[in-house]
Amino acid sequence: MSELHSVNPWLDPSQKPYIQIENVTKKFGDFTAIDNLNLDIYKNEFFSLLGPSGCGKTTLLRMLAGFEKVTNGRILLDGEDISEIPPHLRPINMMFQSYALFPHMTVEKNIAFGLKQDNLPPNEINQRVEEMLQLVELTDFAKRKPNQLSGGQSQRVALARSLAKRPKLLLLDEPLGALDKRLREQTQFELMDIQEKLEVTFVIVTHDQEEAMTVSSRIGVMDSGNLIQVATPTEIYEAPVNKDVADFIGDVNILRGIYKGQNDVGTQLHSDDSDSIVFATQEVGASTGDEMWFAIRPEKLEISKKKPTDQYNILNGRIEDIAYGGSFSTYHVRLDNGRILKAIRANRVRTEEHHLTWEDEVYLHWAPHSAVVLLS
Amino acid sequence: MFFMLPFIFVLKISLAEPIMAIPPYTALLEWGDSLLPSIRASLESYLFLFSDSLYIKAYLSSLKIAIISTILTLIIGYSIAYSVAKAPTRWRGVLLMLVILPFWTSFLIRVYAWIGILKTEGLLNLALMSIGIIDKPLIIMNTDLAVYIGIVYSYLPFMILPLYANLEKMDMSLLEAAADLGCRPFKTFWTVTIPLSIPGILAGCFLVFIPVMGEFVIPDLLGGTKTLMIGKVLWTEFFYNRDWPVASAVAIILLALLVVPIMLYQKSQEKAIS
Repeated sequence: MSELHSVNPWLDPSQKPYIQIENVTKKFGDFTAIDNLNLDIYKNEFFSLLGPSGCGKTTLLRMLAGFEKVTNGRILLDGEDISEIPPHLRPINMMFQSYALFPHMTVEKNIAFGLKQDNLPPNEINQRVEEMLQLVELTDFAKRKPNQLSGGQSQRVALARSLAKRPKLLLLDEPLGALDKRLREQTQFELMDIQEKLEVTFVIVTHDQEEAMTVSSRIGVMDSGNLIQVATPTEIYEAPVNKDVADFIGDVNILRGIYKGQNDVGTQLHSDDSDSIVFATQEVGASTGDEMWFAIRPEKLEISKKKPTDQYNILNGRIEDIAYGGSFSTYHVRLDNGRILKAIRANRVRTEEHHLTWEDEVYLHWAPHSAVVLLS
Repeated sequence: MFFMLPFIFVLKISLAEPIMAIPPYTALLEWGDSLLPSIRASLESYLFLFSDSLYIKAYLSSLKIAIISTILTLIIGYSIAYSVAKAPTRWRGVLLMLVILPFWTSFLIRVYAWIGILKTEGLLNLALMSIGIIDKPLIIMNTDLAVYIGIVYSYLPFMILPLYANLEKMDMSLLEAAADLGCRPFKTFWTVTIPLSIPGILAGCFLVFIPVMGEFVIPDLLGGTKTLMIGKVLWTEFFYNRDWPVASAVAIILLALLVVPIMLYQKSQEKAIS
């Protein structure tokens, strides 16, 4: 995984993208589902399209599969324009959200279905089906019908079927959506292993940000038919481009500020929420008086009853709620002006005295490099 | 029980002998001097059926007509049901309504209407002649063709409705999955759509085949004297020959022949449920 991802082809201008989505627009009547979208995806990437429902991510995936025609623009796969090629002739396979297993065929026949369309000799088909069954560890279930399988097993059959033809590109539409949390987490790692083993390019659509963070080489965050940000999970989480991305990925506290200028610590802001000055190391091009926002993740806020020694980045309020999460606790702190912020603290000591409790007056403090300044 | 009672009654008559009386058959049980009644059953009516080749021919001819018209109805019904199921949602209600609409008039009137269309100087011939496709009228009335037209027309809704119910709830993503795996649309139809609609096909075929076997009105009104169907024979025995026992025997044998497909139908329904 790390080896694959340590090579970041998107940073290397000499690398040729494997999938090129060029100025693609998709309209359904008057409704624009995809609005002049450009995206390059590289070979062996595990690319996630992430966004709220209705953002166009599924439409984009279905255009890659060929189920929807592009209204404008074109899609290239390995340099070849595939925009006009019907789905059954594309070297692309898809794993459906509903799995779409053929109910009248056994597991074996489902997996063999795609291979039969290529008129491969029967012994080669059998061999490949066997390989796929081993890959997803379902050899004992070969003769079962889909309705005799559990959700997790169906999911693996669907994966095996879509990989059997060794597609150039595998599309996965909410592949783990129907599984329970524990199985989903386990399957995420299996997916990553399989992707690495078979060296297939994966494009996955999901609305589950944790899933996207776990499995992806890069994430494309979509909203209203546009790509808002395309970056690695770390970049998306730590350096979101705007409030929407910051808010969509993980928990975040977003505070409004007014730009005061630069100094040796960094950008200086004034916030209505804080009595102290706010510093962020990030440099922004703005002029005095501009409105901007700074986003701080809950785990980057230090919470304590003692007033910090630093003279900046201080908020104070009262603890309104505590959510004990085992490995960590989430504190909801109400500021004097009524706003509620979240702070997370790891529960590092087992016998910790619960010296923070409801209605305690607390200070929130963060390092200048912990907050992200957002212009929009 | 409701189902069995008429059956037992008909069975009883079929074992009697015809007499000139009201009712025109002998009693099955005779109350003599002893306490127990003696049974006077006769298989003569049955033997008579097998001695006269007319009846066997009528059964076979009915079977042939029922099979051919079921196949015709299936082909036409499947294409209609498929188109309706594929139509935009807002159109489906209207289209389905059109399928059911003929039921608003009496079955008999609809068959009579076909006489008006098919007869020598009927609408069809007039239309074809006026646009110059034919110069002398086609003889359709009183042929087997007219019977097939009548049967297919009358029983089409019984084929379409179960097929539609089946096709409409078919998961469209299965067809997409087939295409995605490299299957051409036509092949997808044969390897995915048809196998998955088998319960609908069976239901539709039985709903058409079983009543057509015993159909009497359509061959009587549209068919000629040469069109031999067992329903017509039964009618003749009953009302013209007034031979109730033979007529009942005809009905019992027809039922016996139909029990096989009826049982197959029920088995397929049970299978569809489980």
